[in-house]
Order: sequence, then C-alpha cells, then structure tokens
Amino acid sequence: MKTVINEQNRRNFAAQVESMLHDKLAKCYQCGKCSAGCPVNFEMDYTPNQIIKMTELGMEDKVLNSKTIWLCVSCNTCSTRCPKGFEVTGIMDVLREIAEKKGIVSKVEKEVQMFHEVFLDNVKSNGRIFELELVGKYKLKTRHLFRDMFLAPKMLEKGKLKMHGEKIADLNQIAKIFKDFE
Amino acid sequence: MARIGVFVCWCGSNIAGTVDVEKVREEAAKIPGVVSALDYKYMCSDPGQNSLRNIIKEKNLTGIVLAACSPHMHENTFRKAAAKEGLNPYFVEIANIREQVSWVHEDKERATAKAVDLMKMMVEKVKRDRPIEDVRVPLNKKALVIGGGIAGIQAALDIANGGVEVILVEKEPSIGGRMIQLDETFPTLDCSSCIMTPKMVEANQHPNIKLYTYSEVEDISGYIGNFKVKIKKKARSVVEKDCTGCGECWNACPMHKNVKSEFNVNLSERTAIYVPFPQAVPLVPVLDRSVCLHFKKGGKCQKCYDACGPKCINFDLQDEIIEETVGAIVASTGYDLMDTSMYGEYGYGKYKDVISGLQFERLLSASGPTEGVIKRPSDGKTPQTIVFVQCVGSRDPEKGVPYCSKVCCMYTAKHAKLFAHKVHGSQSYVFYIDIRSTSKGYEEFVRSTMEQDGAIYLRGRVSKIYEDEGKLIVKGADTLSGNQVEIAADMVVLATGVIPKKGSDKLAQMLGISYDKYGFFTESHPKLRPAESSTAGIFLAGMAQGPRDIPESVVSGSAAASKILGLFSKNEYEVEGTIAGVNEATCVACFYCQRVCAYNAISRKEIKDRSGKLVKVVANVNPGLCTGCGACVNACFSKSIDVKGFMDDQIYAEIKALAV
Repeated sequence: MKTVINEQNRRNFAAQVESMLHDKLAKCYQCGKCSAGCPVNFEMDYTPNQIIKMTELGMEDKVLNSKTIWLCVSCNTCSTRCPKGFEVTGIMDVLREIAEKKGIVSKVEKEVQMFHEVFLDNVKSNGRIFELELVGKYKLKTRHLFRDMFLAPKMLEKGKLKMHGEKIADLNQIAKIFKDFE
Repeated sequence: MARIGVFVCWCGSNIAGTVDVEKVREEAAKIPGVVSALDYKYMCSDPGQNSLRNIIKEKNLTGIVLAACSPHMHENTFRKAAAKEGLNPYFVEIANIREQVSWVHEDKERATAKAVDLMKMMVEKVKRDRPIEDVRVPLNKKALVIGGGIAGIQAALDIANGGVEVILVEKEPSIGGRMIQLDETFPTLDCSSCIMTPKMVEANQHPNIKLYTYSEVEDISGYIGNFKVKIKKKARSVVEKDCTGCGECWNACPMHKNVKSEFNVNLSERTAIYVPFPQAVPLVPVLDRSVCLHFKKGGKCQKCYDACGPKCINFDLQDEIIEETVGAIVASTGYDLMDTSMYGEYGYGKYKDVISGLQFERLLSASGPTEGVIKRPSDGKTPQTIVFVQCVGSRDPEKGVPYCSKVCCMYTAKHAKLFAHKVHGSQSYVFYIDIRSTSKGYEEFVRSTMEQDGAIYLRGRVSKIYEDEGKLIVKGADTLSGNQVEIAADMVVLATGVIPKKGSDKLAQMLGISYDKYGFFTESHPKLRPAESSTAGIFLAGMAQGPRDIPESVVSGSAAASKILGLFSKNEYEVEGTIAGVNEATCVACFYCQRVCAYNAISRKEIKDRSGKLVKVVANVNPGLCTGCGACVNACFSKSIDVKGFMDDQIYAEIKALAV
C-alpha cells in the first residue's frame, strides 16, 4: 500500500515519539541486529527495525496498529546488542503507550493488550504481582478458562504459584507512580 | 658449444605441490648442451640467486633457463643476477611452470610432463639467444599537463617545484576545472574556491609553469622523452598582456540575456565577452565568436572595444598553433556529468526544479547565480522540502553506466547538510541504494547529516517524478520498511553519474593510450602502476581515470608528478632491447607493418647513396615507441621484420623441442 508522506504529520509523530523516548530516531542506521536477535520476531508483522523506520517516516497508523508493538516482550535483547545504543525496547513501550492513549484496540493482539491491563491492575492493587490473581483475572477476561491449565501443577510444585498474595508495605508510593503517569 | 644451466624452482609447494620438480631437473640434465641442472625451494631468494651466480661462474654458463613463475614476476631479478656475473641479461629465459602449469592443473603426472615440455622449449630457445643491448632514449626535461583541474594543477605544481618546466594546457578560459564550481567540500566543509584559488594563482605565477588557457592539444607525435606537441591557442580576441581584467567590456556587452553560462550549468546567463567566474585565472575575458554581434552582424557592434580602456580587444586575432617538445605528459582531462534527460520518469530538462547535483552546487555557491541563496529555478522561491535522488545514471547497466560514481553519496550528504544549515526548518529526503562513505571522516559526516541535520534517508530508488499543483510528487520506495512512499517536494536534486570528459577518447587515440569502454583512461597496472598509462612517458591523473574525489585526485596528480620527476632524474631513458628490427636488405617498403602497429612506432626511412640519390625506401622502427608486441612480424610479407629475442629460428626451435 502506498504511503503519502505528509511532512507536518510525519514531524509531529516523530517528535512525539522522540520526546517520550528521550532518543533520536535518526540514530538507527537500519543494520537489523535488533530483528536478528529478537526471540518473538517470527510472530511479528513488521521487524523491530522496520517499526523504527516507519516511525521516522511518520507511518503512524501502520505502526500503532501493528502486531509487533504488542508482541514485544521487552526482553531487551535488542537494546543490549544495538551498536548505536538506540532504545529499541523503549520505542515499543512508547508506541504501546501512544496506542493505548489513543484508544486503539489491537485487532490481532487484543489478548496481549488485556494482559497488560490486568498486569497493571495487579500491580496497582498489590504493589507487586500476585500470580494466581493475575492468571484468574486474565482468564476471566479472555474467557480462555482452561488454556494452559496443565502448567498449574508444575508451577505449584516449584513454588511459582502462591495461594496467598502479599502486598508491599507502602502502597501509597505505587499509587503516586500511577497518579503521576495519568 | 652451448653451456646451459637449468634451475627448477619449487616455489615452496606452489610448484612442487603439483609438479615433480626432481623429474623436471632429471629430464633437463639429459638434454645435450645442459651442463648443470638444479632444483631449489625458492630460486628468487638470496641463496637461490647466489647459487645461480656461483654456477654461472663455476660452469662458465652461456645461457640460463629458469623453470619458475611468470616472467612478469622475476625475469628482472634473474636477468640482474646473470648480468652481475657478466652474462648478457637476455641469455636468461623463463619457463613458466607456475601460472601456466601448477596453478592451473591438478594431475601431477601430466602437469610434470607439461613442465618438462616448457623447460625443453626454453632450453632450445636459449641455445639460439643472441646478446641484446638495451636502447637508450634521450630525455627532453619538460612536461606537458593536459587539463587544469585540481589533479592537473597539483601535478603541474609538483613538477614545477621539482625544478622542471611545465606546460599546462586548459580548454576552458580559466583553470580550476570542476572543483572551482563546487561550493563547500566534504567532509570538512571548507569552501572549495577558498582552497582552490590559491593553487590556481600559484600555478599562474610559477616561474616554471607556462599556462595556455582556452587552448587545446591539437596533435601529439613522438615518444617518451621526445613528444612533439601542437597546441591550438584559440583566438581569445583579447590581448592577454594588455588586459587588466577591469570588466568594462563585459559590462558593455549587449548580449547579456541570451547565452547560458556554462560555469553556472545553465542556471544563469553570460555575455558574449566574458570571464566564467570572478576569480578566473587568468582574469582575461574571452570573446565567444559564435554569439558575438560583431561577428554575427558584420562588424557593427564594438561596444566592448569602445568601453575597453587599454584597447586590448582585437577582433582580428586568429587561432595560434604553438609547438612544444616535451619528455613526459600528464593526461588529466577530468569528467562530465551524464545527460539524465533520457530518464523520462525523472523529468530532468522538463521540470525546471529537477536539477543536477552540480547545479545545486552552483545554487549553494556564493559566486553562483543566486549568490548562495537556495532558490528554485522556476519561481525563485526558497524550497522547504528537497528530495535528493542518488545513483541517477550510475549503477544502471540498462540505461546508464554500471559503475558507481563514487562521489555522489558524499556530495548528496553534503547538500542535505548545507540545505539544513541554510534553510531553517527545511526537510530533505535522500533516496539511496547503498551509502558509500569509505574515506577518513566520511561515515561520520553522513551520519551527522542524518542525526544532527535531520535528513531522512530512504533506501530505494525513485520510480517517477511529476508535477502537481506547484509541487514535485516523488514516488519512491523504502525497502527497509517495505513501503511504497510518495513525497511532495519543492525541488528535486539528481545525483547524476559521472562520465569521462567529452572528447577524452579522441585525446587517448592521439596519445596512443588505452581507455576502457566508457572512455576512462586505463592504468598500466590497476594496482601497482596506477599513475602510468599503457604508453611510456604518459601519465594519468584525476577523474579522467575513473570516478574519484578531491583528495584522491590530488594524490593522483602528485603521483604522476613524482613519476615524471623520477624519470627526469636521469638524462636518458632505458628501453628494453626486445624491440622490432628491420632487415633493410629484404624490406620491400609495403608498410603493412606500419598499418598494424598500434604504437605508431614505424616510419619511412630513405636510404641514399653517397651522392644523395635515393636507393630505396624501407620501414624504420622507433625504439622509443616500439613495445616489442610483434604485430608487425606477423604482417610482414617478406619476413624482413623480427623482434629481438623472438627471432624465427628461436620460435621454430621451441616448436621442434615440443614435437620431439
């Protein structure tokens, strides 16, 4: 599909991303090392380097509606290995944030987006993750009640799933972070 | 009786790995006349050469055969070693059993058989060798430099500073070439004319440099050390020695709107009497007779003459032919830009605001048509968005040329940078295929154009440019993100490919030097003799050899100069003795040899008796020009011409050795 580059829109979008990212898009020289090492690249519709280029070119719709930004698991392999020190993981965060603020609901990766929401709710109320509550809420929200159920006994066995959640001492601090952001 | 020594080299495992060197040595020992046969790991090493010399002494050898690498490699080494023992160096023959045997064959047995054959052939040849003396050619210690761009000026200055007289010939009214047309230079952004004009002035004032501008080399004959050159000094219509360069004449000329300025690449007009640019060297105008009203309208207009204070304008001046004799020549004729109007899809020549890189240089330049303010040619408005398209004509084997023009990546980055500096808030887009920025500071320069100056680079070619409501719509691709993109630009700059200067092929033919299929002069060896042409005494510099930037052009100018100074450090030039010779008794003067000689080495010679009566006409070989290629030998009907060291009886003996 043809993309008409509108100079003003391109600049606005690139500037918005850069100011949130605290990094310059022009820094990326498109070597592709980020995409080469990305563990979830095989599921993405655009490679991480393509996302950076398209952001620079102001292709807002394509970028914000991409699967890539939601599939990124923020493992930081890309940023760690980037020869230019570009915030590749960061740009995914920023783009998710913009998409969220714009109310763009990812058609393909709706569940990822739901997970992020549930995750943040969990943090908000506990100050940390209570896995059982997280899994439960996520399953209710997505209605995939029995998916991955066979993992539960193994996780219990290894002590990865606690039956009782714990809250952190000073929840006000967490509330403040959320408030600052909003 | 011949006393031949055969030396078989292993070249480590290079030869010995594929050829049974001992077998070759044994076979050699069996040949009648061979008194010594030896094999050794590295014949070219010091111990190898010493053993060769010792055996020459001990066995009193009359000839040597080396079964070793190509004669291109070490023929000279062994000839010198033989000469040190008092043997004529041409009694050394090489059987090439490396490049022609071990490197190209796998079967050891058959390779060995072939090596033995080649060795036998050379033994038979060396038995029939006669002593050959090298030819000495006297040198006229004066140099000619053709083309007064940066490469030619650098060569001229270096030669002149070495104490040798130089004649610098420039076709245009001023020296300076392409470099003086440029605005600022990558990657340091120093102003081109600021660093170029001092060189031009120095060349003009140098006591050892004689400058001929508005002049062309008309004819060249002769050979290294002794070139006869005819230079046509075109009629300037201005007496140079009286002109003060005041400018009254061109201010008075009524033809100020009709003629496109070549120097500003058609972006402005010039008068009929003009200097191409204010810092021209020499600052003496030229009257372009093809447009001057005086010449077109029968002598009525003479406004320039009336305005001229010292009355140095002379309408009657004629072209002048100057003859010079020089010992060496530098060909540095530079380059032109391709005509890109054949790319209909880009609209160069159709849309006024689609311009070439060189035109953009003129728009940037303070001495240019807009005095350094970037304005669109169509309406004079300052563009806010410029699209730069790289590789227009270059790397296009279908319509243009397959080679890379080398300078465009860098000058486009420079253009985008200067555009950002001059027009605040502007935006440039650069379409590229690859970015080639390999010299010192170049990569950093391109990166800073992107990162500091905000140029957006898109990897992909442009497919189409068209005009729509005062904008140029550029349709291209960004292959990195896989998107087709469309940009509305105010101006488009094409990074046009470079080609050799028009007429450089004709000059090459006149000089007798080789050139490639594009017209670039070819080096004698692309790596090891980059400053030398295929003809002795003619050297190359600058873009005439192929695309290169300013530092490389300067280096090549200096390289040519150092070669010439080295040549002139002796009084005579030594030519290998293996050249053609004519048997005057049998020559029938058919001159077929002259027709096939690629080097113009054969001339007519009249033989007269004592009373001066013509006895006969024969062919004569000029030792300065002959390369010993042997084409004449094949062409001669009466078998009157032979190349020394390759006489008929020697060749037949080689063939017979193979047949036995």
